[in-house]
Amino acid sequence: MAATRRLQKELGDIRNSGLKSFRDIQVDETNILTWQGLIVPDNPPYNKGAFKIEINFPAEYPFKPPKINFKTKIYHPNIDEKGQVCLPIISAENWKPATKTEQVIQALVALVNEPEPEHPLRGDLAEEYLKDKKKFAKNAEDYTKKHSEKRPAD
Amino acid sequence: MDQAQGSVSGSDLHQLSITVECAHLRSSTLLKPTPYVEIIVDEKTPQKTETVKTNSQPKWNETFTCLVTPHSKILFSVKDHNNFRKDTVIGEKKIDLFTLLFHFNGKCDNLDLTLDLMSDSKQSDAPLKVGELVCSLKGLVVDMSSYVRSNDSLPLGPLGPSNTEGPSNRNVFMNGIKAKLKSQGAENVVPSLSSSSTSSMTSSSRSSTERIEPRRSQVNSVASGPVSVSSSNNSIPNGCIGPPVTVPNGNIVHNETEENRTDNEPLPPGWEMRFDTYGRRYYVDHNTRSTSWERPQPLPPGWEMRRDPRGRVYYVDHNARTTTWQRPNSERLQHYQQWQGQRQHIVSQGNQRFLYPQHQPAPVPGPSVITEEDDGLGPLPAGWERRVQPEGRVYFVNHKNRTTQWEDPRTQGQEISDVEELPLPPGWEIRYTEDNKRYFVDHNTKTTTFDDPRPGAPKGPKGVYGVPRAYERSFKWKISQFRFLCQSNALPSHIKIQVTRQTLFEDSFHTIMRLPAYELRRRLYIIFKGEEGLDYGGISREWFFLVSHEALNPMYCLFEYANKNNYSLQINPASYVNPEHLTYFKFIGRFIAMALYHGRFIYSGFTMPFYKRMLAKKLVMKDIESIDPEFYNSLVWIKENNIDDCGLELFYSVDFEVLGQIVHHELKKNGDKEKVTEENKEEYLTLMTDWRMTRGIEQQTQAFLDGFNEVVPIEWLKYFDERELELLLCGMQEIDVEDWQRHTIYRHYTRSSKPVVWFWQFVKQSDNEKRARLLQFVTGTCRVPVGGFAELMGSNGPQRFCIEKVGKESWLPRSHTCFNRLDLPPYKSYEQLVEKLTYAIEETDTFGQE
Repeated sequence: MAATRRLQKELGDIRNSGLKSFRDIQVDETNILTWQGLIVPDNPPYNKGAFKIEINFPAEYPFKPPKINFKTKIYHPNIDEKGQVCLPIISAENWKPATKTEQVIQALVALVNEPEPEHPLRGDLAEEYLKDKKKFAKNAEDYTKKHSEKRPAD
Repeated sequence: MDQAQGSVSGSDLHQLSITVECAHLRSSTLLKPTPYVEIIVDEKTPQKTETVKTNSQPKWNETFTCLVTPHSKILFSVKDHNNFRKDTVIGEKKIDLFTLLFHFNGKCDNLDLTLDLMSDSKQSDAPLKVGELVCSLKGLVVDMSSYVRSNDSLPLGPLGPSNTEGPSNRNVFMNGIKAKLKSQGAENVVPSLSSSSTSSMTSSSRSSTERIEPRRSQVNSVASGPVSVSSSNNSIPNGCIGPPVTVPNGNIVHNETEENRTDNEPLPPGWEMRFDTYGRRYYVDHNTRSTSWERPQPLPPGWEMRRDPRGRVYYVDHNARTTTWQRPNSERLQHYQQWQGQRQHIVSQGNQRFLYPQHQPAPVPGPSVITEEDDGLGPLPAGWERRVQPEGRVYFVNHKNRTTQWEDPRTQGQEISDVEELPLPPGWEIRYTEDNKRYFVDHNTKTTTFDDPRPGAPKGPKGVYGVPRAYERSFKWKISQFRFLCQSNALPSHIKIQVTRQTLFEDSFHTIMRLPAYELRRRLYIIFKGEEGLDYGGISREWFFLVSHEALNPMYCLFEYANKNNYSLQINPASYVNPEHLTYFKFIGRFIAMALYHGRFIYSGFTMPFYKRMLAKKLVMKDIESIDPEFYNSLVWIKENNIDDCGLELFYSVDFEVLGQIVHHELKKNGDKEKVTEENKEEYLTLMTDWRMTRGIEQQTQAFLDGFNEVVPIEWLKYFDERELELLLCGMQEIDVEDWQRHTIYRHYTRSSKPVVWFWQFVKQSDNEKRARLLQFVTGTCRVPVGGFAELMGSNGPQRFCIEKVGKESWLPRSHTCFNRLDLPPYKSYEQLVEKLTYAIEETDTFGQE
């Protein structure tokens, strides 16, 4: 596959860099176009858990951007109920073939830690976030405790 | 509520064939009804019988195939057809399939039914029996054990207590259903099986909770084994099909949500869900022996899967009585509906299109180039021959389509610019005047002239065709040249093309492919069966419009809309699912040639790159922008940035996905091993551009061009550029400038900015051709949506016409066709704007090319 070498290199680089906030990267050897991993945020209220994501690379990668999906439910203004996330770095307008998956993941972790209520996917949560931060934090924390994955031990 | 439950609570969809035999209607009035029967499964689209004129004992003997679940409710409704008023219901009966299945041990095969037809009566509250409907059911066999086992609490079964314990008068006004197995001969009367709408309210609301049970247990059992227990499953060797080798493409987000939504629904027959070694779900289709990541959706109501004699799977849509090779999914059905919705506008659209009135033949063009045996132009295109008339005049014969012409097909339509490189005749010399004007000296005769003596050279202000060059550039003149060739190669007499409206595409296909291609240049005589009328042009105009619209039927998979933009078509790389697709593309090639030859328009045009391909023009990177802007942006990025040291890891090979399969391609020999560097990236970009514009459609394009060339020499098109070709093929339409202006938006300009005011002044003063070309320049097509400019679409959905302030006054205007955007520099005067804009829209090659 044309994208294989690029993705293998990126995967190797990410694994070597030992990202604290993105762990347990799983890639099927027969299908390097789908990655799974665990987002481990630092900031409350999401620092009570971890969130599984899936990254799907198109056959035309890196001419077309990857797509990211949350597999774990999350209470977040920028991530909807279906796990879809709106990340500018992989949007059609901003995508560059030189953008690395590591950068994409860093952008994603930053977004999870610091929600951007100005560009929400879930208007209700964005409103709550802006108007009643305490309530939001409580709801998000409860939700995280209930639905999220276990954080890695170290 | 009741129906929704019924449609999903069965294990999976089954085929049931229903034969409506006859009815005995009690005629209460003197007038006899004109009855027909509607069969409605679970409130889906009705299927109807023919009407029987004024008859109270109508016979139909019509058979319908329905897709049902074991819990389907089938409503039989006998209606009276009325030409003037709404059809009225004579009587109805709803049957609950499950009760029948339960009673007959899961078998609805060769089952005769006599249904009491009920009608609401004015005299009493109770419905009244108004007659009987006789029909039979065939072909439905369900393994009841899976239902009964988990359904031990099914108290509402046909023989359950509620039926017998019910008030005795229930039987009286529900009147039951008589059911009898044909093979057994003995009559098995099932009393009050029916669940009329009144009585089923209670029973279903109770049973609906229980019905969820079997469904759940089925989903649970999924983890351990195959879901669907269909008879065809057994014959497929298990394990011979591995997980899909391909991966879901960019649609993954979409698929995921669909999956969630349909998770609880049963798999279609012959499908199985499995898990790969990584615990991921995938789906095996034992019918076609293929796998996919995407969960299959059950066939929509009225659809059926069949096999042709060669064992290939295809799908029948009984609703529309059509077939298709590709499994229908919701997206395709949505496209199909959208496509159907256009139908009502076709004819009115067709009547709005026009081009210039066809001129009388232009003066016979002289031979443009007197070619010698070796004229340096290379060999003639395949099928062409050069001949000489007795008096020595050279002409050209095209054997493929039996046409002749004076002009050399190799130079047709070209302004001969490379004439400059030809040698001068002996004894001639080029000199320049003091003001650097070129002239020619003939030493043989000791004369001088400004006219180039070489053959084919423009003579003074005149062009190669001996008419003023400015005129040669005009569209009108080009059309008259083309028309002249058509007329001089016309054949006597006519051909008849007889079609039925329901089978228009197939009928047209067979007629056109059966005839020798050159005969298609005879006058056309189109007959719509059953419709009177002589074809004086109106009918063939309609025929061209309808057939061209049919060709877009998404179910044929031949063409697709380029890039969500709603107008322009490109060949669908997935068209190969249709085993006959190349013959169809050849047909469409012939058909398009006929449209041009006979001066008719088609409904919807192709993409600009496709026209360029017809004209054998080289496709450049910018051409990708209109069909795949994302891909184009990445190419531009590579072109504009130093790509060494940024880890692109690109090699001379590339992939793309079609129908869930990844197709790998090496851009050159051993391309998999050759890395792309800053040094060699130009070559890479060129190869990528070629590949992107042809991937998956090369054979189809060739078949199209072959078909075209059999009817009309493709060289005849070379007078035109790709934009003119679109105008020629689709015609122009009156453009409503008010509407255009009303739905235009501005960036960094306002409505009253000077250049904007001048722009509209320019538009208003232009003729239709110029307006069409301006529109084409900005939006990529000369056509306006049916709903006007408000419905203009871009590559990402609705996108209004936009004028943006970009650049300096010395720049030319640029356009971004995927965003319908015109980059208009802030010109200093009206005259300047007119000059720059005119130049930009009249030159073919797109500006703003990086």
